[in-house]
Amino acid sequence: MSTQDVTRAPVAKTAVDTFVKTTGSWVATQLEACTRCGICAQACHFYEATGNPEFAPVWKVELLRRAYEQRFTPPGKLKVALGLDKPVTDRDIQHWSTIVYEACTLCNKCAMVCPMGIQLGPLIHEVREAMAASQVVPADLVTAIRKQEELGSPLGVTEEMWEERIEWIADEWEVDIPIDVRGAETLVVFTSIEVMKFPENVAAIARILNAAGEKWTISTPGREVVNFGVFEGNPERTKLFMARLFDAARSLGVRRLVVTECGHAYDLLRWTAHNMTDVPVEITHIVAVIDDLLKKGRIKLQAGKYDSLGPIAFHDACKIQRRGGHIQEPRNILRILAPNSFREISPNREESICCGGGGGVIAIQEADPLRYKVFELKMRQMAAAGTKTITMTCANCRLQFTDGIKHFGLDVQVKGLAAMVADALIEE
Amino acid sequence: MDWYAILEFSRGPMFYTALLVFMAGMTYRLFSTILLGWQADRVPNRGSKLRGVAVSYLKGFGIWPFFPWVKGTLSRNPVTYLAGGLFHLGLFVVIFLGTAHMLVWKSLLGFGWPTLALPIIDWLSAVTIVAMIALAINRRINPVLRLISGPAEWTNLIIVFLPMITGYMTTHHLWFRYETLFSLHMLSINLMLIWIPFSRISHFMFYFFSRTFHGAQAGKRAVAP
Repeated sequence: MSTQDVTRAPVAKTAVDTFVKTTGSWVATQLEACTRCGICAQACHFYEATGNPEFAPVWKVELLRRAYEQRFTPPGKLKVALGLDKPVTDRDIQHWSTIVYEACTLCNKCAMVCPMGIQLGPLIHEVREAMAASQVVPADLVTAIRKQEELGSPLGVTEEMWEERIEWIADEWEVDIPIDVRGAETLVVFTSIEVMKFPENVAAIARILNAAGEKWTISTPGREVVNFGVFEGNPERTKLFMARLFDAARSLGVRRLVVTECGHAYDLLRWTAHNMTDVPVEITHIVAVIDDLLKKGRIKLQAGKYDSLGPIAFHDACKIQRRGGHIQEPRNILRILAPNSFREISPNREESICCGGGGGVIAIQEADPLRYKVFELKMRQMAAAGTKTITMTCANCRLQFTDGIKHFGLDVQVKGLAAMVADALIEE
Repeated sequence: MDWYAILEFSRGPMFYTALLVFMAGMTYRLFSTILLGWQADRVPNRGSKLRGVAVSYLKGFGIWPFFPWVKGTLSRNPVTYLAGGLFHLGLFVVIFLGTAHMLVWKSLLGFGWPTLALPIIDWLSAVTIVAMIALAINRRINPVLRLISGPAEWTNLIIVFLPMITGYMTTHHLWFRYETLFSLHMLSINLMLIWIPFSRISHFMFYFFSRTFHGAQAGKRAVAP
C-alpha cells in the first residue's frame, strides 16, 4: 500500500507506545474478555464480502492485544521469551494499516454479535490511533486531512467556494439560508459532501427549518462538520477540527448545534466530544430535529406523499442509528410520508449492515474494489426487499450508495430523507 | 506407583494450594487491569445506562450461555454456537449440580444444595466432551479460528478438556483403577486451577466488564445492546 513516510523509523515502537498509552482499564478489560471464538468475523461486512480471515474484527485488534499482553501481563512477557508470541514489527504496522483503514468502517456491528459484548469498533479506532502516531496512514487519507487542515474541508472547499456555493443554493432553490447570525438558537453544520454533491439536501434542511420558524444559522468559520481527524485516529487533529465548530457556536451564542447528515461527526460530537474537550452547546442530529418539529406540530407534511413511488426502504447508518441512537425517528417520519410503501430491509436497526463507505474508506481510492464488493451486500438486501427507492440520513452512506448504484448500473433511486420531508411540506 | 498416596496429595495439599494460586492469581489479574485507570464518561445520556446494562445481561444469560440474538449469527457459526453453548451449559451444571462436586463445595463453603441425578449429569458430561471435540475440530478447520489460534488457545482447550474426560472416566471406571482415575482427575483440576489466572480461561471474570460496558454504551444511546 502507499503510505505517508514509510521509511520513518522506528514505526513499531511508536505504535506500541501509543497502544500502551491508550491502554487504560477500559481497553485492558475488553481485551482480556476475548475468548477467541471468532464469531465477530461473520458480522463484518468486509469479511462477509471477501471471506478474507484477516478482516475478522478480532484479527484487526491483534496488534493491540500483543502490545498490551507483552507490556502488561506476565504471561505475555513469558510468551515472547519462549517465542510463542511475536513482538510487533514495522512490517506488522504496515500490514495492519491496510486492514484497519481500508477494510474497516468502524461500524461496530461486531460488538453486537460478540457474546462478551466487546466494543470492537472503538478498539479498532485505538489501533488507528497507533497507526496515526507512527504516520502509517493511507496517502489518500493524508491528502484529505491536509486539505481539511489548510482549506477547512477535506474535499478542498475553500471559504470562497463555500460562500459562492451557499449563495447559489439559496438562489437555485429560492430559500433563505441565514449565515453567521448572532443570537440564533441553532447552529446547523453541513458536510461539504452535502454542500458540493447533494446541494438539494442543504436547501431541504433550510426549507424545513424556515417553515418551522426556527431561529437558525450556519457559520463561515464553523462550516465543516466532517472530521478527518477521527478517520485518521489523531486526537489532536480531531480536537482542532471540533474546536472550529465549538468556537463558532460560542461566538454566535447559539444554544444547540445540529449535525446534518454526517455519521462519524455525529458519533464524535454527540457521544465522544465531552470526554475530549468542553462542549459549549447541546448536540443533536437533524433527523431528531425534524421528528421533534413534526411531533410539536411546527411543520406539517402531506401524508402518503411517496406511497405512489413503490417500495421505499430505509438504510440504517452505523453512526447515526446503531451508534447514534436515532433509530425510531426516521421510521416515524417515513410512516407519515409513505405509510403503505415503507419497507424494512433485513437486517435493520441496530443490526444493520454498514454501507461500506464509512470510516474514511470511501476517501481511499486503493480501497475501491473492496468497497464495491461490500456494497454488493447492500444490493442483495435491497433486492430481497424488492425496493427501488432507498433513503437514509447520512451523506457519506448516500455517496457510497450513489457511487455503488452507478458502478453496478442498478435501477435504484437514492433519496435523502430531509429532501423527501422538504418536498412534502405543507407551507402556509 | 502408589496411587493412593498420589490421590491423597492431589485432593489434599495440592488441591488447596491450587485453589490458593487460583484465587491469588485472579485477584492479581483483576487489580492489574482495573488499576490501569478509567476515564470518566462525561457524555450526557439520552437513554438509561442502567436499563442497557440490564438488557445486556438478560441477553448474555439467555437460554444458551450465549444466544444468537443478532440475525444470521447462528446460521453462520452453528458449531461455535451450539457446541460452545452446550459446553458452557454442561460445564456449569456438572460443576455445581453434580453430587460429587457439590460435596466438594460443601466442604469448602460449609453448606450444600440439592443436586441432579447421576444419569443426567453423566449424559451432560458426555455431551460436553463431544462439544469440546467439535470445538477443537472447528478451530482446526474454520479459517478465522485457524488464524487467531496459537499455542495458548490450544493449551487452554486441552487443560479444560482433561478434567472433563478424566471425570467421565472416573465415574465409569474406564480402563484404569478407580484411585488412578480419581488421581488423574484431581491432578488435571489442579493444573487447570493454576493455569486459569495465566490464560484466557479467565474470561469469565472479564465478561462482567465487557458486558456491562456494552450495555451502558447502548443504554446511554437508547439503542438495544
